[in-house]
Amino acid sequence: MAGDRASSVDERLRLKHEVEEFLFMEADLLDARRYQDWLELLTDDIHYWMPVRRTTTAREVDREFTQPGGVAFFDDDKAMLKMRVDRILVGGAWAEDPPSRTRRLITNLRILEAEGDELTVASNFQLYRTRLNSEEDQWIGRREDRLRRVDGQFRLARRHVFLEQTVILSQNLSSLF
Amino acid sequence: MDMDFYDTETGVLKRSIFADEGVYELELTRIFARAWNFMCHESQIPEPGDFFMNTIGEDEVIAVRGRDRRINVLLNTCAHRGNSVCRAEFGNVRSFFCSYHGWNYDLDGSLIGVRGEDVFYRGNLDRKAWGLTPAAQVATYRGFVFATLDPGAPALEEYLGWVGRLGIDLVASRGEVEFLDGVRKNRVKCNWKLAVDNVYDWYHVQVSHGSALKVGVLREESLRPMQQIVVLGDYGHGIGGPGLSEEEFDEAVERVKNGGGKRQFYDGRVAERMAPATQRELGPVGKRVLGHPNIFPNLWISSTPEICLRIPRGPDETELWWFAYRTRDMDERKRRAALHVTNHLFAPGGLLEQDDGENWSHATRSAKGRFARQLPLNFTMGKGADRVTADASGQRGIETVVNEHGQRWTWQSWQEWMRAESWQDLMASRSAPPTGVV
Repeated sequence: MAGDRASSVDERLRLKHEVEEFLFMEADLLDARRYQDWLELLTDDIHYWMPVRRTTTAREVDREFTQPGGVAFFDDDKAMLKMRVDRILVGGAWAEDPPSRTRRLITNLRILEAEGDELTVASNFQLYRTRLNSEEDQWIGRREDRLRRVDGQFRLARRHVFLEQTVILSQNLSSLF
Repeated sequence: MDMDFYDTETGVLKRSIFADEGVYELELTRIFARAWNFMCHESQIPEPGDFFMNTIGEDEVIAVRGRDRRINVLLNTCAHRGNSVCRAEFGNVRSFFCSYHGWNYDLDGSLIGVRGEDVFYRGNLDRKAWGLTPAAQVATYRGFVFATLDPGAPALEEYLGWVGRLGIDLVASRGEVEFLDGVRKNRVKCNWKLAVDNVYDWYHVQVSHGSALKVGVLREESLRPMQQIVVLGDYGHGIGGPGLSEEEFDEAVERVKNGGGKRQFYDGRVAERMAPATQRELGPVGKRVLGHPNIFPNLWISSTPEICLRIPRGPDETELWWFAYRTRDMDERKRRAALHVTNHLFAPGGLLEQDDGENWSHATRSAKGRFARQLPLNFTMGKGADRVTADASGQRGIETVVNEHGQRWTWQSWQEWMRAESWQDLMASRSAPPTGVV
């Protein structure tokens, strides 16, 4: 019995470590502006979504977020994400030229569900961006990701991003979360 | 204050208006507190108690549907100590309860509950005198709700004039309009007027949004036709951007009706204007307009299924609020297509809009420079080279190439608003929209 428990803890830690390695590597690619390589991490059926959040009364807090299929800040399939990346790389995307300097901190990782080849994973993030001499933005939020094993490697199959800000306090969202 | 900001003779503008605190303070009084300001669309607040929070200048106001189903616009500040009586962006309430001392207001703003009214106030409080302050006037044009804080303002329809009304007609004629849940808001470190100036600017597209064009977010053909129609209206309203010649319009109608011919990107827009009643409603010039109206001061009606409010948050900060809509008759495919445009072009994540803020914020920053602020800005494009033509219907337009007529009209009108002491003064002193050579 004790041995079984130990091996299941061991397994969970191993899985968590594996997910962590994937998410940290992914964050590094974005911070290093290796956008093409980042695209390689996405499944072809990815849905990348950031709803709009609003201040509501406590009584109506169930109306805080817009719903899937509605208005959103991001509501992208792979083709749209590729377009975002291509746009940055093609030149003349002024919000990223000169390029932003970003650093992503990914924490509070939890594996919510593991079934077959897919995992549902929650993490918190802080994305710090600075531009030019003195411009600073930061976004803090929660992500809920669906990871899928493809040929033994994790791929990102879904990302839902929930920001804490309601009025976005930056002049754009040209970063990827 | 020296009120010579814009020289109508030379088309040159002083940059200091994008940074000066005194100018900004005066704008809050002479423009925002005076104008009819867009509040929300009726479909956002269909039921009694439904509300949407907005601002007029820097005054926070609540647009709320009353028990009698009329829309009230109330200043969000308690009559007792000034605390907010509502803190949510939208929602539904039975009344507005002040979290400081518990004064309670009905949906029409009347004071209906005062804690300790008998014991502490000894029955000496005149409730009728201490309600929430309502906007001086509230009115709706085709579902678009506006309010003004100035009792001297002309009626909304008169304020809008035919050009402001046409701006809204271009939306309302698409069908029964329903605004979508979720107003996207973000802050840009720019003066609000730079965002307004951009509404008429079809010169920046290939440069500011060049990357979007290169990767196919925006197709070159979506910018056609290259000729423009500019319509200038009362009090600074205007419409600028691509416009079809009568021939092009008729050809598009023919293609939509009978097929054949090389399909153009704008055929989709013309398809919405096929009904003779719609063409009559928009008028012979209006039906050919594909560009962007601005309802003075700060409501941009986009050619996409969206509108954008540019709200001042100080001389060097602006909040952009994007409202999206659809028409109730859209089938699922059309709804998805409209939402795709909404979720990918504008607002802070939009592949077009990301780059705009970068330009506007730097134009604002340079206006603070001790030396740079004294330098003029050039608004001379097409000046003196075009003519306003009047249609038999009375509609007037300028048919030309890319130009800065809309911007010049905005600055001229803005200056007249700033110089006028009152609505009466503005009505007497303002220039009529130009005729003849512009």
